[in-house]
Amino acid sequence: MKHKIGAFVSTNRRFIPLFATALLFFIAYGVGAGFFQGMRDPQIFLNLFRTAPFLIIAAVGGTFVILTGGIDLSVGGVIALTTVASAALLRAGWDPWIVMLLMLTMGVALGATMGWFITYLKVQPFIATLAALWVTRGLCFFISDDSISIDHPTYKLLSQTKILIPGLSDPATKEGDFISLLVVLAFVVLAMAMYVAHYTPFGRAVYAIGGNEQSARLMGLPVDRTKVLVYTLSGFCSALAGITLSIYVGSGHGLYAMGFELTVIAAIVMGGTMLTGGAGYIFGTLFGVLILGVTQTLIQFNGQLSSWWTNIVVGALTLVFIGVQSFLAAPKSRRPSDQMAGLMLRRNRKSLLMGAGTVLAMIVLGAFLFRMIIPSTESTACTLKPFRQDQAASLIQGGAVIAYERHGGPACIDELYAIYPDGRIKGDDGDRTVEKQATPAEVETLLSGIQNLGWFTEDIYSTWHTPCGQCYTYYISVSHDGQQKTVQAVDGGTDAPSDYWQVVSLINGLIPRLP
Amino acid sequence: MKQESKTSFSWRKVTESRLFFPFSALALILLFDLIFVPGFFNVQVRDGNLYGNLIDILRSGSTVILLAIGMTLVIATGGVDLSVGAVMAISASVAALMINPYVLATQLSPETQRLISDPNFTNQPLWVVVPVTLIVASLCGLWNGILVSYARIQPMVATLILMIAGRGIAQLITNGVRIQIFYEPYSFIANGWVIVPFPLYIVAFMFTLTWLLTRRTAIGLFIESVGVNARSSFFSGIDEKRIKLLAYTFCGFCAGMAGLVASSNIKTSDANNIGLTLELDAILAVVIGGTLMAGGRFSLLASIIGALVMQATTISMYAIGVPANAVMAIKGLVVILVILLYSEQVRNVLRRLTAQRKEA
Repeated sequence: MKHKIGAFVSTNRRFIPLFATALLFFIAYGVGAGFFQGMRDPQIFLNLFRTAPFLIIAAVGGTFVILTGGIDLSVGGVIALTTVASAALLRAGWDPWIVMLLMLTMGVALGATMGWFITYLKVQPFIATLAALWVTRGLCFFISDDSISIDHPTYKLLSQTKILIPGLSDPATKEGDFISLLVVLAFVVLAMAMYVAHYTPFGRAVYAIGGNEQSARLMGLPVDRTKVLVYTLSGFCSALAGITLSIYVGSGHGLYAMGFELTVIAAIVMGGTMLTGGAGYIFGTLFGVLILGVTQTLIQFNGQLSSWWTNIVVGALTLVFIGVQSFLAAPKSRRPSDQMAGLMLRRNRKSLLMGAGTVLAMIVLGAFLFRMIIPSTESTACTLKPFRQDQAASLIQGGAVIAYERHGGPACIDELYAIYPDGRIKGDDGDRTVEKQATPAEVETLLSGIQNLGWFTEDIYSTWHTPCGQCYTYYISVSHDGQQKTVQAVDGGTDAPSDYWQVVSLINGLIPRLP
Repeated sequence: MKQESKTSFSWRKVTESRLFFPFSALALILLFDLIFVPGFFNVQVRDGNLYGNLIDILRSGSTVILLAIGMTLVIATGGVDLSVGAVMAISASVAALMINPYVLATQLSPETQRLISDPNFTNQPLWVVVPVTLIVASLCGLWNGILVSYARIQPMVATLILMIAGRGIAQLITNGVRIQIFYEPYSFIANGWVIVPFPLYIVAFMFTLTWLLTRRTAIGLFIESVGVNARSSFFSGIDEKRIKLLAYTFCGFCAGMAGLVASSNIKTSDANNIGLTLELDAILAVVIGGTLMAGGRFSLLASIIGALVMQATTISMYAIGVPANAVMAIKGLVVILVILLYSEQVRNVLRRLTAQRKEA
């Protein structure tokens, strides 16, 4: 038995990092689903993809660069520049498809320039792409200092088209679990990249260069051309990720995707690609992205952990994966020359250190899990009050123009407000009540503002799902000019339509605070 | 031909000097200021202290200079340390926690509140705070060094781990609170003036210390030899692992110092923003200073000039009114320009061009 496992491991050695990543992802999600009711909602699983199409696309491009042994730090800058430039061009009235084409051309041109610097001028990849990062990010602020919103119908259509999952949704009512078009795009990019990496001469050249550039050159492979192409491809993917992000968030800003290049590299490393190049799989990168997503989801659902734990967990995971990789790669580096040199890696000491490092990382992870689980078993957390949607509906019946309920969050609040056309605003949280007298004009401004944001159109729709640990549930019912519409959404998941939160902030601006 | 080389001998010696390119880059930027920014070189004297744009460049550049000193040694061994920014954040958090741990309590009595806003109040005196912070920062550097030299992880990856996790750790230390520091002696570290700003004395001290350490002992030579060829250094009896360990630990120490200066400057421990992207500034300062990323010969003074080039660019862009965020683009262009000047290929082309002109 033991022998069999050993044989299996040694024949499939190169797949082990991939397996490890996939396994870790499923275990993490499984543990989460065991503890948190909300994570069993299939939509939460789908949200892992829905909130990360740009990360998948950018990481796929980055994987090629890292496979050749290079590095691309310009990703975040190119993404930000793409969002700002496309938002500015759309505002100037350009056709969206031409804008997208232009952005992709820009990405290709930037990538090719970086590749040319690196390949022919022998500039270190680190320095060349870093300079590109600064230039692109700086250029964003020459275009605009502030965020530019995109409200072109094509972009709206692309961001709002729901692709319902058969079996988990009802095609008649168009309700149920869904993914967005962008996720499909990300998967198309992923599939094409896998084909290119594993079934084309270009892909083989990429792996060969990462393995040993000198021998690749001696083999007659087009090393220089491939290296330029790899950076061009990464530039293209970054621009595509930028377009995806601008569709997803519906605006462009120079501060978007700050530190994104690090997230991309972390995802690639966790996906099992060696940063020294030559080994790894594009498919693994997908799992790297998913692990990042599941870490964030777990922290969000727990509701007690602060967001910085994400950084620590990701750092520890990176260490574990590097440990696994270098342990697997060790026999490979035991080349004759190394042995002869007497510099043979001291396997014992090395694995001891690796083991120590892994144990340390495990302790950090353990501490994380421990903290994650403790508050959910001990019920020190507050208990949720019942959701009062029937009462809210009756408020509208009673003449209110807006009924607004905010429910949940770390302190388990339950606030229900009613705004009347004559300016009376009443709120209560079950125990306490608050009242405020606004002018009828203020209410009218609020209502027309809400209507202008597209409240009564198809643009705004309910995105209710099981709330996470620290999320708020919002229930907003608006009645204006003979129309009435109720929308229910949960924050935390970023799946609400773009103008929805503007409506929420409009209402929040008028209502009084509870004492 | 022979005669020409004789007459231009001294000129060539100047241009081939390590300091020539960094110095001429700095001179170009200052020349730009001389032409486009009136009054850039004015230096005022107030209460016997000096103020002005030039002093500003030195003062605000001091954190990057401190980082660049440590980074030079690491890059000279053929490595790189991406975690210095995060280590700065960690050391700022440690220092702030030692000075003022009371703010972590959820409820503060008004009496405590008044006590901790007193400029002379501190939980630990400065002579405890500074050494402990520097030790913590050195330990962070030691961690990087162990990963690089003993676990043999590629430097960029090994330090990436602490770079990602470091900011989380820094926030963990202060429990996510931005601790305000009211302690007067601590804020003197960055905001004090003794004729020139106090950080300059720290820079001068660190530079002298490092220079003595590397040039008056054999350590500098060892570092260079490890950077050129780690294996042959091993055969020459140099313990390359220990040299690398030393370089990374020292880099952590310098980052700790920079973290003290940065947090004392803004009088808070802002784990999210202290030292953000400064690792990139420091690496580029070293590269502009002419130390190769592949390792080998290094010059501390050239790295410091490199840091000043970056800082002078920033300050002069502010002076002509470029928005803060857009300065990045200019900095990027300066970097590209300098890197192109260093590139062997470009130099060959230039050499060919000048040779042609001479022939013509």
